[in-house]
Amino acid sequence: MTTFVAESGQSAKTETHEFELEVRGRIPPALAGSIVVATSRRHKDRFRFSRWHDSTSDLLRLDLYPGKPGRVHATFLSVEPEDRSLLEGPQPDGFYATQPNHGLNVEGNTLWATNLLFGAPLEVDLERWRPVRVLRYLQPTTRAPQVTSTSHFAWSLDGRYAYFHQSLLTRETASRNVEAADLALVELDTRTGDERLWPIVPPPEDASLEAANFHSAFYFEDEGRRFVGLLKTGAVVECLEAHTLPVDHQVARMPSSTIWIIEVDREAPVLQATLLPGIREIGALALSHLSVDASSGNGFVLYANYKQADVGEETHGENIYGESPDQVREHYAGMIVEPLNYGLVLRYEQHGNRSSLHTFSRPYEHGRTSLGHSWLPINIGIGSAGKRLYCTFNGFRPRLLPRHIAAAYPDIAVDPQHIRYVPPLLMRFDAATLAPEYDSKRRHLSYAEPVALAVVDDGEQDYVCTFSPELGLRIYEGDDLSQTVGHAISHGLLTWKDSHFRPEPAHMEFVRR
Amino acid sequence: MAVNRPSVGGPEFAQLVRTVGEKVDRLEENNWDFESVPEVFARDAAADVLAKDLVQIHDGRTMTRLGRLVLGGVGSHFNLMGTMHADSQFKVVGSQYFDEVHAQLGSNGLGIGDIPEYQKLEEKWGKPQDIEYHNYGVFYTLRDMIFWLLMHDAGCFPSTMETMMRRFAEGKVVQNNMYGPARPSFDREQPAMMAGACLMLQFPSKIVEWMEQPMFGGLQEDTIVVEHLLTVQEADVSHPLLPLVVESKVRLRHQDYYVKSFAGVTPKDALRGPDIPPEGPGEYRA
Repeated sequence: MTTFVAESGQSAKTETHEFELEVRGRIPPALAGSIVVATSRRHKDRFRFSRWHDSTSDLLRLDLYPGKPGRVHATFLSVEPEDRSLLEGPQPDGFYATQPNHGLNVEGNTLWATNLLFGAPLEVDLERWRPVRVLRYLQPTTRAPQVTSTSHFAWSLDGRYAYFHQSLLTRETASRNVEAADLALVELDTRTGDERLWPIVPPPEDASLEAANFHSAFYFEDEGRRFVGLLKTGAVVECLEAHTLPVDHQVARMPSSTIWIIEVDREAPVLQATLLPGIREIGALALSHLSVDASSGNGFVLYANYKQADVGEETHGENIYGESPDQVREHYAGMIVEPLNYGLVLRYEQHGNRSSLHTFSRPYEHGRTSLGHSWLPINIGIGSAGKRLYCTFNGFRPRLLPRHIAAAYPDIAVDPQHIRYVPPLLMRFDAATLAPEYDSKRRHLSYAEPVALAVVDDGEQDYVCTFSPELGLRIYEGDDLSQTVGHAISHGLLTWKDSHFRPEPAHMEFVRR
Repeated sequence: MAVNRPSVGGPEFAQLVRTVGEKVDRLEENNWDFESVPEVFARDAAADVLAKDLVQIHDGRTMTRLGRLVLGGVGSHFNLMGTMHADSQFKVVGSQYFDEVHAQLGSNGLGIGDIPEYQKLEEKWGKPQDIEYHNYGVFYTLRDMIFWLLMHDAGCFPSTMETMMRRFAEGKVVQNNMYGPARPSFDREQPAMMAGACLMLQFPSKIVEWMEQPMFGGLQEDTIVVEHLLTVQEADVSHPLLPLVVESKVRLRHQDYYVKSFAGVTPKDALRGPDIPPEGPGEYRA
């Protein structure tokens, strides 16, 4: 345990832990660099309730050294969520400033690690592997004691500017759910450190602030004008604090997701958002993760996914079979919210006034597993110079779907009597059509795969990496997902002291050395 | 898994090899989709590892895993499959090291019989019958594995096959052996409890490697586990799922070891809802 003092005089207590992984196979030269992962850590006692959005956050850096077998060196950086010393001034009780347990945004030697829903990004010096500051631009108040920020930033075409949303969250009342307030778009100049905030005016036809949270953002240009797209996830949070009594309750239904388009106008004092046409009409829930190709400078090709899960809720209470938590063996502290049904991946292309939409969604057919599925899509990675997509899907554990959440969505919730375990999946797609690249040798998919994904395109071929503490780092050549080329594991990845990492990390990011 | 055709001899065997070979060809040609060969679905499977009593020794270069398993099953013949690194040695061995560790741990020598959940299991299903593992084999490919499962009418579940496929992809192989109780049970409410000889798995590794989570076999949703981890140097190692119960020391063949004991109940993977039948032919969508 050490005390770190940042340039600004802010300080934090952090702890690091490092070790070597056992490598089998080889680490290809294209992977000379580091992989960073944001993890959540929990008590091993599965009967302890913990909200999935909240956790102790450990940032993991895996340094990869190519060779046969090569080397992988791991360094954990623990960041306690209750540690408020990175921020100046008093903090309202009960809410943490940062909790970097989800998103990873990297430029140069700096990482901005982000929360799942609550809190502000933490800036980390990648090389020194030390926190620098918390990017919180709004001052919490007694009425609005927490902030929410975009987990996955938008990046200008040259990588210089990062864009994300931040707003306060107001406490619920007897008649209203938690609402966003003071919505702002943040522009961060990664070269100079300059920042700028614009208040956002919601689109008139999507003005409710109850579900105004934005998990991911993307940037594009069109005829010299600059735009940021915000994926409105639409999580409705009934209660700002984690439930003290984890029992069944009335669930406020999420609205269909939308995408807000905001023109970045440096002269404007406020920015007016508009809706991207055709997205709300899809009528699906929890649009959250994306990859974008806007390199043409004239529009964009957006790949994004809908979770079909009520991501504002917590997993507790009886499940869809009426079983109490003590009867459900899969329970763990900090359980994610399981989907209500299979999700959807979309491809939205827009150039000027022309746009097109493709989608992929499929149930899991256990008699035809080679076709894949779209249960709880997580990551989308672009490879082969934009020609291929690699997507991961978390699958489904039916006994972890709470009855009270399913009851709020009778029209889409899965029939408990006709569903079984759906295994996680990594699958390859044609980026132009969103069609799976079916292959008679099963080189297009791998089941029971971790969902955290990094795609490294070295110009000749793609390397696809997946990671979870339990299954370790797995490396594939993009052409063949049926054969790993390298695999690295360690018992050090499974636990920290006598706590363990749950749920498995959603994301990872490769940083070239 | 339950093995419905434990042995076949004579010309019928040769015919079966041909027929099963054709089925495996058909399955492979159809991208291993079970819909193309519905016979590959396991039927009425109810067999699981109920409890594990393990001693894991790590000397800095080699991982040695010694274990006694308590198995449960409905049927007369079963097979025990597990993945292992391709450079592993798998043996049935005497229990002297295993017993020595327990003896030296004395009052700290927690065994599976000390776990309340296991005691309840014995109260419900009785003491385990002694069994002998036999017909050991190793599958190097998915094709080998499916061929054996079809030859012996044991079958498989797609979710299990997908997990095995991922393990084959990372350079593991599947060890397989058969066993059966002297007094079989065909009653799902009262399956046979069985316990065999000590099994040993040894492979080179610079780190401690824990076993992967087992898949649900239709009988018991969790596994009762006691694991004693022995290391030459004091190690900052914890179990992925189980709490640390005791720390101690033992001496084996002139070598001192630090011991960490972990015990409790761990969930199996791929569980399904109550009264939901396993994956089978006909109803495919989910």
